[in-house]
Amino acid sequence: MSIYLFQILNGVGLGMIYFLLSIGLTIIFGLLNFVNFAHGAFFLLGAYLCAQVHIMTGNFWLSLLLAPLAVGFLAWLVEKLLLHRTYHLPHMYQILVTLGLALIIQESSIIFWGPVGKNVPTPEVLQGAVTLGSFAYPWYRLFVIVLALVVALILWILLEKTKFGALIRAGSENTEMVSLLGVNIFKLFSVTFGLGAVLAGMAGVLVAPLRGAEPFMGTEALGIGFVVVVVGGMGSFVGALVGGILIGIVQSLASSLWPQGANIMIYGAMALVILLRPYGLFGRA
Amino acid sequence: MIHRIPIILRGTTIASLVTLILLPLVLPSASLATEVLIFAIAVLGCNLLLGYTGLLSFGQGIFFGLGAYTASLCLIRLGTGLLSSLGIAVIAGGVVAAAVGSLSIRRRGIYFVMLTLAFSQMAYFVASTSKDITGGENGLLDVPRPPLVFFGMQISSLATGSAFYAFVAVIFIVLYVALRRVIHSPFGSTLLAIRENEERALAVGYNTRYFKIMAFAMSGGITALAGALYAISLHFAPLSNIEFVMSEQIVLMTIIGGTGSLYGSLLGAGFMVVAGEALSAIWPRWMLLLGIILIAIVMFMRGGLWGGVEQVMNRFRSRKPQQGQAPPLEVPND
Repeated sequence: MSIYLFQILNGVGLGMIYFLLSIGLTIIFGLLNFVNFAHGAFFLLGAYLCAQVHIMTGNFWLSLLLAPLAVGFLAWLVEKLLLHRTYHLPHMYQILVTLGLALIIQESSIIFWGPVGKNVPTPEVLQGAVTLGSFAYPWYRLFVIVLALVVALILWILLEKTKFGALIRAGSENTEMVSLLGVNIFKLFSVTFGLGAVLAGMAGVLVAPLRGAEPFMGTEALGIGFVVVVVGGMGSFVGALVGGILIGIVQSLASSLWPQGANIMIYGAMALVILLRPYGLFGRA
Repeated sequence: MIHRIPIILRGTTIASLVTLILLPLVLPSASLATEVLIFAIAVLGCNLLLGYTGLLSFGQGIFFGLGAYTASLCLIRLGTGLLSSLGIAVIAGGVVAAAVGSLSIRRRGIYFVMLTLAFSQMAYFVASTSKDITGGENGLLDVPRPPLVFFGMQISSLATGSAFYAFVAVIFIVLYVALRRVIHSPFGSTLLAIRENEERALAVGYNTRYFKIMAFAMSGGITALAGALYAISLHFAPLSNIEFVMSEQIVLMTIIGGTGSLYGSLLGAGFMVVAGEALSAIWPRWMLLLGIILIAIVMFMRGGLWGGVEQVMNRFRSRKPQQGQAPPLEVPND
C-alpha cells in the first residue's frame, strides 16, 4: 500500500513541476493564440542555468532566483525582436519560428555545457527524508510541491485579482477589443510571454536536482507540456494544474511497471481529448 | 498564373534530371547522393500536404518509420523480392496515413498540428516497446538488399552504391513526373483551393474531407517508400526513423527547399543532407545554423531556397510579378 502512496505522492511532485511548465504554455496560447514550440527549450535553459549557478557558487537558492529571471528576460527579448513580427502571419509560421528558436537554444546549450548531462545535488537543507511511521518521503520533493503550490496561488491571485490579470483574461477573450480600449496590447504580449518563460525556467530549476540537466530534456518536456495543456484545456489555469498532476501521477505509477505504456497512454489521451473534447477538461467552448 | 506554369515545368523537370546526373559526380560518395534522393522523396510527400494542401503535419516520421519497418520485415522474415517489399511498404504507409489523416483533419489549425504530434509520439512509443517486431532500441539489423528483378528478369544486382543510386534515381524521377501530373490535374487544383480557402472550396461543393484524406494517403505512401529505401540502403532500420526528430527534419527540409515546389523538395533535402554531412564532421552543432536558417526563411524568404532561386531568375528575365498577383514566393509553380 505504502509503495503506491509513495508513487502517487511522487506523481503529485512531478505533476506540480509539469504544472509550472505548462501554465506558461497555456497562458501564452490563451492570449497570443499560438503554440510556443520553444517552451521546452526555456525549461531546458532553466535546468542548465541552475547547474551553471551551482558550479559557480554552489548555491541552489540563488539559481532558483536568477535562472527563471534570466530565462524570462531572454524570452521577453526574443518576443520583442522576433516573434512580434510574426503575429500577422498564419499560425504555421509562428510554430516554425519557435521551432527554430528551440533548435538554437538546444544546440547552444550543447555548445556551452557539452553533450553529456550535468548533475545538480539536492540543496543541503533539503537532503534526507520526512518519516511518518514506516513512510518516508524526500524533503526536496515535499519542498517542490509546497513551492509550486505557493507559486500557483500567487499566479492565481495575479490572474484573477489584479488589473494585469484582468487584461490577460480580457485579451484572451478578445484581443482587438482590449487594444481598442487603449491598452498597449503588444506590451502585454511580451510581458506575458516573458512570464510564461519565467515559470518554465523555474520548472527547469526545480527538476535539475531530481534528474539533472541534459540536452534533450527540452523536447521531452515540450511533449509533456502539450499533453497537459490539451488535456486540461488550452488557456485554462485549473486545467493546467489538474492536467499536470494527473499526468504526473500516471507517469509515476507506470514508471515501475511499463514506462513506455504510460507514454502511449498519455499521448493517446491527448489525441482522444482533441478529438472528443477539443476544449479539454476545463476549457471553455 | 496558370498559363505560365508549363514553361517553368519543363525547366524544373530538366533541372531535376540534370541534378540527378550531377549529384553522384559532385558528391564524395554514391551513398550520400542516394541519401539526398531518399529524403527528397520524403520531402515530396511532405510537400504534397504542406505546400499543396496547407496541412502542417508533424506525423511524417510515422510513415517514414513504418515504411522502413515494413520493408525490412518483408525482406528479413518473408523473403519477398525488392519491388514487392517496396510495394507493401507503400500500401502500409498509405493505409496508415489515411487513418491518421482522417482522424487528424477533424480538427484544424493548431489542434490539427497537435493531433499529428500526438500520433507521432504514440507511434514512437509503440515502436520502441514492441521489441519483437521492431527490435526496439536496436532497430532491425541486417536488412538484405535483393537484386532488382522485373518479371523474372534480373536487371541489376544493386550490389554497388552507384547501381542502387541509379535505382533510387529512377524511382525519384518517376515519382516526380507522376506528382507533377497529379498537381496539375483537377485533383491537384482542388488541393490548392483547399489550401487557399477551405470554406470556399467546401461552399463550391467539393468534399474537402475526401481530398484531404487522399492527400494524406498519397503523402504517407510516398514517405513510406522513402523510409523503405532508406532501410534497404543502410541495411538497417533504426528506431530513430520513427522519432519526432524525423518528422521535424522532413518538415524542415520542406520549408528550406520551398513549400509548394517539387524541385524545391530536391533542393531542401540536398541542402540538409549535404550540409549535415559536410558540417557535422567539423562542427557537430550545425543544427544551430538550421534553426537560424529556419527563422530567416520564415521572416524574409517564405518561398525557401527555390523561392530565392526563382526571384533571381525573374530579375534576370526582368519579368516582375504583376500587381495584384500573389508574390511568386508563395505561389506553387512547379
